Amino acid sequence: MEVTITIVQALLAGAALLAIVRALRGPTLTDRMVALDLVLLLFAGGLAAQGARTGSAVFFPVLIVVALVAFASTVLVARFIEWRDTK
Amino acid sequence: MSVIQAVGSFLMIAGTVLSVLAAWGVLDFPSALARMHAATKSASLGLGLIAVGAGLGAASWGLTGIGVLVAAFLFMTAPITGHLLGRAAYAAGQIDGLVHDGLAGEAPPKAQITVDTDRTLSPIRWIALVLVWVLLWRDLSAGTLLGGAVVASLIELIRRADQRRDVNLVGLVRFFANYAWLVVASNLRVAWEVITPNNDQIEEAIVAVPLQTRSVATALLVANAISYTPGSLSMELSADPWILYVHVLHFTSVEDVQESVSKLEVLAMRAISNPVPVDETSPPS
Repeated sequence: MEVTITIVQALLAGAALLAIVRALRGPTLTDRMVALDLVLLLFAGGLAAQGARTGSAVFFPVLIVVALVAFASTVLVARFIEWRDTK
Repeated sequence: MSVIQAVGSFLMIAGTVLSVLAAWGVLDFPSALARMHAATKSASLGLGLIAVGAGLGAASWGLTGIGVLVAAFLFMTAPITGHLLGRAAYAAGQIDGLVHDGLAGEAPPKAQITVDTDRTLSPIRWIALVLVWVLLWRDLSAGTLLGGAVVASLIELIRRADQRRDVNLVGLVRFFANYAWLVVASNLRVAWEVITPNNDQIEEAIVAVPLQTRSVATALLVANAISYTPGSLSMELSADPWILYVHVLHFTSVEDVQESVSKLEVLAMRAISNPVPVDETSPPS
């Protein structure tokens, strides 16, 4: 179990790096938002794995919060893109 | 390691593989919308699997319950973010390289979703709300049940129903069984697309699909299901006639896309039966 979780977290961190490269490259705001949304989801995955490692319940409510923040921020930026570029 | 923990490990690994492929797709795919197909859907499913797997891995039913809640939440929100971002990118003119564009030309009239104050009570929905409450507290005591009952009743009282409708449980189960297969197949397809080095097979297109249903709930279920499937994304819904605009990653022909959406629509119509159609004046096209 320990080994599995370490591998899972390492892979998720690697995936987050790939997504961050895309967020830096762009080229459009949509690309960056897609990438940052993905980073948050990967972060939440790492938290869930940590919850499985420790068996502690603390991580799971945080998981819900991170998923909510990812959703709300993406919706906000999508509205912003539409408002800014179609005026 | 118990069997449950082994299942948990497997789910976590499967979710991680999906997430890594999603990130690779975000880096590798040629256009903004193609990247979104890889990211928002595959990664949401991946996180859902990791969350459920982590709960099982911790050998705790309470934590598994929260994992299921997270997965259900992602199932509902991932299509909304995909739809909003896709529509915004299209409206902002950031989409090019389309093989076929069914949305081109003048903007279609948007579907008006009328909300009246007809308050219907549904026992199934009430029980679902209490269940969510119990899962969030990870506790099955009388106090939690009572608190859940009060909160569920309050939500039922203040929410506004758009129309009376009945959920057919057998139809809903059939819908989700078919749909689960579709999600697995399309995730594998996008995964294959990611690991093969060239992106030759990607042919993006926007296809207009006429809907038969006049029920907002059915249209919502179809649009959400399409968006959660990697490789297709609902962009816009227009009224009079009801047309769903779908962005696809692997365009073959307009008829193919319309056929696969119609299959899903028929399944959704069986799941949600609507005695009173929203708009009886316009005949199904």
